[in-house]
Parts: sequence; structure tokens; C-alpha cells
Amino acid sequence: VDAVERDATASAPPAPAVHESNLPGPFPVGSYAAQLQARLRQFANVQLIGEVWGFRATRARVYFELRDERGALPCSMWRTDFDALGVDLADGLRLVVGGGCDYYPGSSTSSPSFTFVVSELRIAGEGDLLAQLERLRRRLAAEGVFELQKRLTRPCLPKTIGVVTGEQGKARDDVLAGLRRKGWAGRLVWAFAPVQDRRAAGQIAAALRELAAIPEVEIVIVARGGGSLADLFAFCDEALCRTVALLRVPVIASVGHHTDRTLIDDVAAVSCSTPTHAAEVAVPIDCRAARAELAADARRLHGHGHRAILARARTLGHLARAPSQHLGRQRRHLHQLLRELRASAKRAVEDGRSRAAVHLLVLRRTTARGASSDRDRRRSELARLSLALAAHDPERTLARGYALIQDREGAPLASASAARVAREVRLRFRDGTVPARVTDGDAS
Amino acid sequence: MNTERTYESAVARIEEIIRRLDSGEADLRETLDLVKEGRDLVEYCASELEAVSTGLQELRLEELVARLERTGSAP
Repeated sequence: VDAVERDATASAPPAPAVHESNLPGPFPVGSYAAQLQARLRQFANVQLIGEVWGFRATRARVYFELRDERGALPCSMWRTDFDALGVDLADGLRLVVGGGCDYYPGSSTSSPSFTFVVSELRIAGEGDLLAQLERLRRRLAAEGVFELQKRLTRPCLPKTIGVVTGEQGKARDDVLAGLRRKGWAGRLVWAFAPVQDRRAAGQIAAALRELAAIPEVEIVIVARGGGSLADLFAFCDEALCRTVALLRVPVIASVGHHTDRTLIDDVAAVSCSTPTHAAEVAVPIDCRAARAELAADARRLHGHGHRAILARARTLGHLARAPSQHLGRQRRHLHQLLRELRASAKRAVEDGRSRAAVHLLVLRRTTARGASSDRDRRRSELARLSLALAAHDPERTLARGYALIQDREGAPLASASAARVAREVRLRFRDGTVPARVTDGDAS
Repeated sequence: MNTERTYESAVARIEEIIRRLDSGEADLRETLDLVKEGRDLVEYCASELEAVSTGLQELRLEELVARLERTGSAP
């Protein structure tokens, strides 16, 4: 703006300001156009790759557009330079051009125009295509386009499979061979599209969209038998890749190029080297083996069920018998206890009896011993007493020569006074009694 | 089981059931329940396999689309 202002100040006085706008100016358009031309010419000279469209030649220059899926540029080249190259340009031809931007500012009598001034031009080769492919690959990868298909769940046993391929190609037979190998015999929906033409990307994308729109289609194979990278360039189309990335069904790519990987290989859920392999990947299980395994599983389940029922029957039978068995056990236990009790009681009685006999015997002996001893003792005492009595017997005294004085009645007189009183006494000797009279008393 | 039954989820569940039954740890009631569930799953898997065993049916996309348009529903 400063440059435009400076240039405008030098060439003409500024017009009165527009009151409604806060923008600077107004400036003469020619000054602005000249600054724009100068600015565009400062852009670095580069090489571009794209497809040529609308080629036309004038006496001095040739004009064409260079296009790709994201944009286009008007290009021009000096006629003499172009003729020196000796090439013929047709719509769609992929070119590499070198040059830079230019802007013709026009005038009061001529229209302005922008152009990329081409100083170099060549038809794009495989290296150019690969370089372009790599740039696109990096850009799509950075956007996460390659991840979307990988997140889809692939069915283990699809019943309907869609296939996009050429109608006349060998890929068709290879897909069928792969499916037969897996024992798969479901529904196959063919969506034929040109796969050799590098402009076929739109038709391939349309076929994919139509297949994905059918609810029964569970997975789609894109198959092609191989070819040069130029032939395969349809499968590197950005729009096709974005279409594939956004499909609801998983896509298995089998474009059949071993050395250079196409972009659809990157964006698809799975990339396979051959259509046969793609078909095998589309049906992960071997259907024949799965049938055999399922039958085996069914047999095992049946076996478990059968055994479980038998086990239940056994358990029920056991439960039914349990009360009587329990009673029997208890009865046997009680009988045993009773037997033990009786035996124990018998043993106790016998033991008691035996002990009582012993006690009795001991008692008897003890009693016997006690009785004998007492009798002897008493006998001895009696003898002793007899002897003591005998010692005091008056008869024994009389026997030794003494005499007993008795009154007339026979009562002993133990003193002289008693004898004097009695007067008439009896003298008892060992061998008889003699009457006597006390006389000394009268004398005194 | 998931609300959306698939062949692979059914097969995985059958294998799980058989492992449990083979372990001998399931009691009688669980065994009978597992066997019943397993039989249902086997029937489902058998029907899925039957669908891809009746013979390869080849259709062109345009034929299928035309058929869908005629019937106005799934074939």
C-alpha cells in the first residue's frame, strides 16, 4: 500500500476520500496494477506438473491451462520457444513446466491478464509421476485419510461381496478362484469399470459408492491385474482415495503392482498383491473347515449336555435315597450304642460282683479274726477273775488252818466286840463247826 | 453377548462356553444354561454358513440395482 501510495502521489493527486470507508485510497487502478505486476514477478520461478487443457497458438505465443484436481493456472509461452521443442500438446497430457508468474496490467484500451510464463516445458515422465504421488501421499497421510478404512470392522463371514474390476480382465477369474478356495459360495456383485484408463478414477469411485450404498454388501474388492504405473495412475487419484476413505464398507485393494504402491493401496483397509489373495482376505475363514469345527463344537456341547442331565439324574436319585439311608445309618448307630451300653453294664455288674465277693471274703476273714480274739480275751479275763476270787475264798483260808467266827445264824463275826455281844458263837473249821461261848466279858 | 451378533462373536462365545464346560468348574445349573446358549449359537453359525454354501450367486451391479428399484426393498 505504501508503494502504491508513493507511486500514486508521484503521478496524480489523490482523489477526495470516500467518507463511508476507513480504507486508504482511492488510488489510480493503473498504479495498483503496476504494483501487482511487480509483486507477482517477485514470485520465485518453479516447476509445475499438471495436465494440459485448452491449448491454442497465436502468432507470437501459445496459451494453455495447466490443471490438476485441486486447481489450474493459465500458462503462456513464446511461440518460437514452443516450436523449438517439437511437441504436440493434447488435452489431458501431463506436463512439467518451468517459469514464473507475470501480470499484464492492461490499459484503458486493453484487458489485464494473469499468466504463468513458461520458459521450460516437457512431457511428464514416470519419475515426475512418482514425485507427485509421494507429495500427495504425504499430504493424505498427514490428514489421516489412510486411517479411516483401517478402523472399520471386517466381517468374518460376509454373505455379499462387491467387486470392482474390469469386465474382461483376468482379475475376475482370480477373485472367483480365491473365493472357491475358501469354500465360499455366497452372493457376488460385480461392478465393472475401466481399470486400465488413468482417467477411470471417477468411474471406479462411482462404482464403489454404488456398491457401498447397497446394505447387503459387506465388503468390496477393487481388483486389477497389474500394469505400468502410468496405467495404474487412476488408483492414485485423490478424489478416488477420499471416496474410498469415507466408504462405510471395508475395501480390499488388489491393484497388482509389485514395485510401486498406489495410493488406493494405502487408503484401503487391506492391500493385497493379487486378486486371488484379496478374495481370500475378504473371507477370512475357511468355510469348509468352519463347518467341520462347528459340527465338532455341536457334538461337544451335546456331550456336555448329556452328561449334565445324567449327573442331574444321579443327583436326584441320590437325594431320593438319602433319607432312608440316613435313617438306616442312624439306626445302625443306635444299635451299636445299645450293644456297647449292654456290654458295659454287664462288665460293670460283674466287676461289682467280683469286688463284693472280695469284700465279703475280706469281711468274713476280718470278722472271724475279731471274734476269736475276743473270746480268748474274755476267757483269759474270766480265768484271771476266777483266780482272784479263789484267792479271797474263805474256804481256802479255813483250809490253811484258820477258823471263821459266826453267830448262831451263821453270820460272820469279824471283831471281838461283836463276839462278846453275840455270846453264843459258832467256830467254823475246815472240817466242821463247833459251838462256843464267850466268857471273858463276864470276868471283867 | 453383544446386541449385534456376528459370526465371529458367536464362534468366540462358543469357544468360551466349551472352555468353561471342559474346565469342569461349572455347576449343574450353569452347565445346562451354557449348553442351551451354546446350542443357540451353533444354530446361528450354521445358518450363517448355510447362507454362503448354497451356491455362488453372481450379479452385476446394475442388475441388482434394477431389482432393488423394482421391488423397492432388499432382494
